[in-house]
Amino acid sequence: MSDVLEQTELVESTALDSPWVTIVWNDPVNLMNYVSWVFRSYFGFSRAEADVRMLQVHHDGRAVVAIGGREEMERHVEAMHDFGLWATLGKADE
Amino acid sequence: MKAFRRSRHQFVAVFTPDEASTLSLLATQVSELIENRSPHDSDPALLRLLPDAYPDDAEASAEFRRFTADDLATRKAANARRIIADLAAAAGATSATVVKVDAQAAQAWVRSLTDIRLTIAARLGIETDDDVESGDAVLRDLYDWLGFVQGSLVDCLDR
Repeated sequence: MSDVLEQTELVESTALDSPWVTIVWNDPVNLMNYVSWVFRSYFGFSRAEADVRMLQVHHDGRAVVAIGGREEMERHVEAMHDFGLWATLGKADE
Repeated sequence: MKAFRRSRHQFVAVFTPDEASTLSLLATQVSELIENRSPHDSDPALLRLLPDAYPDDAEASAEFRRFTADDLATRKAANARRIIADLAAAAGATSATVVKVDAQAAQAWVRSLTDIRLTIAARLGIETDDDVESGDAVLRDLYDWLGFVQGSLVDCLDR
């Protein structure tokens, strides 16, 4: 029974700590094939998924590419800056 | 310049001595720009290479920068040095030379080519998709050529 309770607490705390997203913004410099390749090679997206996100960045000006805890999103944002993509953190509910 | 193509586990392109020394010089300049930056540098190129992580929170952005900028700068400078090293023979040659880039180096190349293009774009004032014809024509041609170099390498990585 205690195991079950611990599991529940874990899930709850993950949910509470997870209102962050990694956002990639459109810029006029980065090539479409490069952005799609970054999404695939770093996030492990399929080609179709990566192209959808890349086109979303291109047409809508931004796309959410990851959701999770703040530290994890900061790692993703740093990785995107390493690739030269314009990425920021945001709150998932904003 | 002959575009990158894949040859087994390598990526192969042909650079003239002028092309190789130009790209090498640009890589040197970008690595110097990054390494000589000051903590509150307002150079638009640097602000794009190391952007604010929290657009609406200057304090959180500063903190993020404190924890990440040095490592990012070190990696970006190392990526630029990889390009310079790989181009050394071609830059010193008297005719067009084959440049071979291995899979690991290609990771450095695509990142550093991005950093170089971002820096030139900042100098040209390219801020939106509509700014395609802005700035100095020679620098603009260089920017377009770098896009071609990078695009061909990404196409190879993609396969």
